Amino acid sequence: MLPLVVKRITPQSTDIVSLELADPTGAPLPAWEPGAHIDLQLITRQQRQYSLCGDPADLGSYRIAVLREELSRGASMYIHDFLREGRLVYARPPRNLFPVQPAGEYLLLAAGIGITPILSMAKDLQRRGARWSMNYAVQDDTRLPFRAEIESLGDRVTINSRDRAGRLDLEAFLADVRPGVSVYSCGPARFTDAVEAAMQHWPAGSLHLERFEPKPIVALPNTDFTVTAARSNIVVEVPAGESMLHALKSKGLPVTGSCLRGICGSCAVTVLDGAVEHRDSLTSDPESRTMYPCVSRALASDLVIDL
Amino acid sequence: MKTEFRALAESDLRERLGYPDAATTDKIMDHIDRSCLSFLAHSPFLCLSTSDSAGNCDNSPRGDYPGFVRVLDERTIVIPDRLGNKLADSFLNILDNGHVGLVCFVPGMTETLRINGTAYITDDPELLGMLEQGHVTPSLATVIRTEQVYLHCGRALLRSGLWDVEMQDLANEVPTSGTMWAEASGLSPEVGKLIDEGMVGAYNTLY
Repeated sequence: MLPLVVKRITPQSTDIVSLELADPTGAPLPAWEPGAHIDLQLITRQQRQYSLCGDPADLGSYRIAVLREELSRGASMYIHDFLREGRLVYARPPRNLFPVQPAGEYLLLAAGIGITPILSMAKDLQRRGARWSMNYAVQDDTRLPFRAEIESLGDRVTINSRDRAGRLDLEAFLADVRPGVSVYSCGPARFTDAVEAAMQHWPAGSLHLERFEPKPIVALPNTDFTVTAARSNIVVEVPAGESMLHALKSKGLPVTGSCLRGICGSCAVTVLDGAVEHRDSLTSDPESRTMYPCVSRALASDLVIDL
Repeated sequence: MKTEFRALAESDLRERLGYPDAATTDKIMDHIDRSCLSFLAHSPFLCLSTSDSAGNCDNSPRGDYPGFVRVLDERTIVIPDRLGNKLADSFLNILDNGHVGLVCFVPGMTETLRINGTAYITDDPELLGMLEQGHVTPSLATVIRTEQVYLHCGRALLRSGLWDVEMQDLANEVPTSGTMWAEASGLSPEVGKLIDEGMVGAYNTLY
């Protein structure tokens, strides 16, 4: 984990603060691309994922933004109420599960705190002279973070708020398939679910999503199963009441979890044999051999993994 | 050796101790103020006292990530129930008599936060969702309405050296939990060793 010092905390809206995090010695930080996130660990040992929302060209600091959650599980409340400038936090180096891939044109769709990865993408696309536009859905101006930065991007950006362009009707907006356009979307589940629903008739692969909350998944009942870690030659029994990740860790196998909800991807393992019931929010191909054991389980009684 | 002694009455006690300063009683609040909120946000451990309606007492430790005791408003706090021994001594007492007392600790800090109040047990799903940790949502939580909240002075912890690193050597001199368990249950020392080995695995499952 990288130690990072909190250099600056800036209120961005009524319920969002941004944090600038830097190496305590001032050394440059590991590089990242728009869409990347860090796993941040607080002094309370709680770990959460935050998208980087600063300038990838500036390796002097990382910037993240944190929404005060109404029903906080503790971390967002801690950051808002108790984290102070000058304090240390820890982070794993950036990982990118939401990278921008080459396309003829980009449509960025963000809602609420989902602006964080999208803002970095917008600035990068602007700098590269790409064809892009962005819609940002937010309640009203008091909830609008990074206002000056967003406004400086010009009229490629539409702010869909009560105070500005009004509500975004996703179904109508995405009704016409636009060939060659890649859509990147991030926001609360109700927003990303609505984007996904409105793009059912678009070509496969047009939509790139990052979720904060797990996709609603109808799972089979949990059963006991056995996992063989092929390289370590360790056999792990996973009881119905325990996650596979937890069972692997209990046997000392080198896996790490972070979100534990199938959204961050940090616990990925490769499956060598056996059928998987993917219960995560990252996998689209049911035959995928990459498995997220924090939530996913074996379909039958046995799995062999590359660990 | 003599094991029965003269038991004092309150008048005898006050003769010996005197009365508390106004400064001491004035700091007792009925609510969680800003500083106490910060204390709890950094506290990973507490001892919970309960008693049944006949006055039979119990005290038991509770620990989790710092801030596991959540402050819902200035008079309401909640403690998630985590994996334990299922004796449910505290719960059964609370059902019989809601009065509880807490002593909360922050590692390295000699002062402790004491909270007295009235508790009940709930399984409210929204509340339990907020108490999720390590992908495990507790199945029960204890909600406490605060009546007395105050910082207890640090002399006991200072005198005890509780947070001094070198004090941790003391643990090596105490029988292992397996040995104590086996002795208490009339089992052989070999069984105690097996219990100790088993505990290594059991302690991997914290939630």
